[in-house]
Amino acid sequence: MSDGLLQQLVNGLSAGMGYALVAMGLTLIFGVLHVINFAHGELYLVGGLGTVLLVSHLGVPYMAAVPIAAILAATAGWLMSQIAVRPLLGRRDPSAVMLSTYAVSLLILQTVLWAWGTAPFRIAGVEGSLEIGALIISHQRLTLIGVGLAMLLFIEWLLRRTRYGREVRAVAQDAFAAHAIGIDVSRVRTMAFVLSAGMAGVAGALLVPITLFSPLMGQNVIIKAFVVVVLGGMGSVSGAVLLGIVLGLLEALLGSVMTSGFASALIYSLLIVALLFRPQGLLKTVR
Amino acid sequence: MRIKVKKIAAIGAALTMALSMATSAAAQNIKLGMTMPTKTLLGKQAVQAAELAVEMINAKGGILNGRKIELVVYDDGNSPVEGVAASQRLLDRDKVKVIMGQISSTVALAVLPLAKVEDVIFMPIIPKHNGVTATGYDKVFRLNSTVAMDGAVFNDYVATQINPTKITFIGENSDFGRLLETSLSTAFGKSKMGFVGFYDLKQADFNSLVTDARSSGADTLVVGGAIVEQYANLVRAAREIGFRPRATVMGAGTLNRRFVELAGPASEGAVSVDIYVPTLDTPLNRDFVTRYKAKFGVDPEKIEALAFEAPWIIAQAMERAGTATDTKRIADVLHSNSWEAPRGTVTFDKTGQALSKSFVVHVKDGQILRN
Repeated sequence: MSDGLLQQLVNGLSAGMGYALVAMGLTLIFGVLHVINFAHGELYLVGGLGTVLLVSHLGVPYMAAVPIAAILAATAGWLMSQIAVRPLLGRRDPSAVMLSTYAVSLLILQTVLWAWGTAPFRIAGVEGSLEIGALIISHQRLTLIGVGLAMLLFIEWLLRRTRYGREVRAVAQDAFAAHAIGIDVSRVRTMAFVLSAGMAGVAGALLVPITLFSPLMGQNVIIKAFVVVVLGGMGSVSGAVLLGIVLGLLEALLGSVMTSGFASALIYSLLIVALLFRPQGLLKTVR
Repeated sequence: MRIKVKKIAAIGAALTMALSMATSAAAQNIKLGMTMPTKTLLGKQAVQAAELAVEMINAKGGILNGRKIELVVYDDGNSPVEGVAASQRLLDRDKVKVIMGQISSTVALAVLPLAKVEDVIFMPIIPKHNGVTATGYDKVFRLNSTVAMDGAVFNDYVATQINPTKITFIGENSDFGRLLETSLSTAFGKSKMGFVGFYDLKQADFNSLVTDARSSGADTLVVGGAIVEQYANLVRAAREIGFRPRATVMGAGTLNRRFVELAGPASEGAVSVDIYVPTLDTPLNRDFVTRYKAKFGVDPEKIEALAFEAPWIIAQAMERAGTATDTKRIADVLHSNSWEAPRGTVTFDKTGQALSKSFVVHVKDGQILRN
């Protein structure tokens, strides 16, 4: 039984890091632009599909495909930012941006469905697994956990220790004041968007060998990512990572004592409690 | 003399008219109606298979003294509303006497009353809901097996061939998964059931479920999923964490080529029951598989085999009944004869349910074979 418990901890950790990877970029955009990017799941899809095409159709080694997929998603994010986000940010009504990101999500999804079809696909990723007694963890999951932690450290370093990070935090706090002291607000926002899209791409690339590719992979993951972003304190990257892991662990451990449907219902009801009592998130927003 | 010429001319004209009418009747195509979700992969493949059957029948000279079959297909979008509209169009515009098709039971159940009112032959191809053949309409002929038929064969196989000491069940949280779990625990008793888990339709990570399955000490894993990327990934996850049950049994009709592709080596040894596999060794099936593969580049599967079967059987029944319009005669002939199809010999019971042999299939060296 303790073997089972240990295995569940590892399962929960890797599933949670998956949620965290998707949520990190989503929360970054919220922190900087104060909008929810509904197309984040589709940028994740671009990363997943890019990896599948690179590995299976072009014969690129998996570990080389991951950064290329991230660049692909970042490019898609940059395009999206220029066409569908930046021109609308000046409007008084923030819902215009949200609607346009939703339109972009539909556009990407339908394009993938049109070009690729509905077929799921499997690629191998990092093969092999680590076995300690009865505990087994695949190298792919270890890679996921490692890269997730590295990305967290990188983002924290970027936000806290660099000039760009200071500019990001300034724009996040008050775009008008940031502009007044000479920060190029729209450049900072575009870079945040590109960074966030790249992170979604990495998430897609790392998760696609675990979840299998499906054109609906973005739709399937985005709801949980929203939950993680809200509970983690909208805009807090480390909060999103922590809450992602907690969610993964809770799901894995509760699954043993109750049906997973009920476990999910319980976890989502926590969302209501959190919104009622700690609307700023379980951790304070890191700015 | 002039009168005589007129008479001959009149007779000649009448003869020519009669002849031309006869030839136009012989040349007139027989329209068979079909609705399918043509924008989906499954629907598209099903239509391709039906077209192949029509092509083969016409290449042999058609039916009823050389009349050609013409397949008229409309999109039903997997939706009851669109399905009824498509069927209405088949009846009004194309004047068909036969409506075949559908993937979804809801669509078939919605079209059924319309077929009944118009007194046409209705042949649902893929729908599995028991209700499709339960209305008492004598011109409905369903090709796929029902959930109940599958369940009986499935439980019998698990009991007699696997004889599990403990069963763990993981299935999707839907009718499909829930019904299979109920049927299993009724047949084997709660005491034989180890861990029972359900996953939701958006789940993509199954490690925690298969870890619980492993911990419960079961020797037989039963997987009840309908969405192949999910249940294939589940079987892969079981292998990943080192859960190797004595038997991995997939829900009836879910062990297909895509499952083997997606689950990869983890699919090796998985078993299930089904009514068709492309490796069946009958002359008609070999012919069908070869032609389908040559034309479309992939092996056909059950959906394609059943979609092929629909116009294939209807055409033979029309030929034997000597009519393309008398639906009562055609229905009688369908009921009272047996039919050769890619899956083997098919007969219809009095409710119109197709009966054919269900058999056990397993994966060996990446191939799906009949036991």
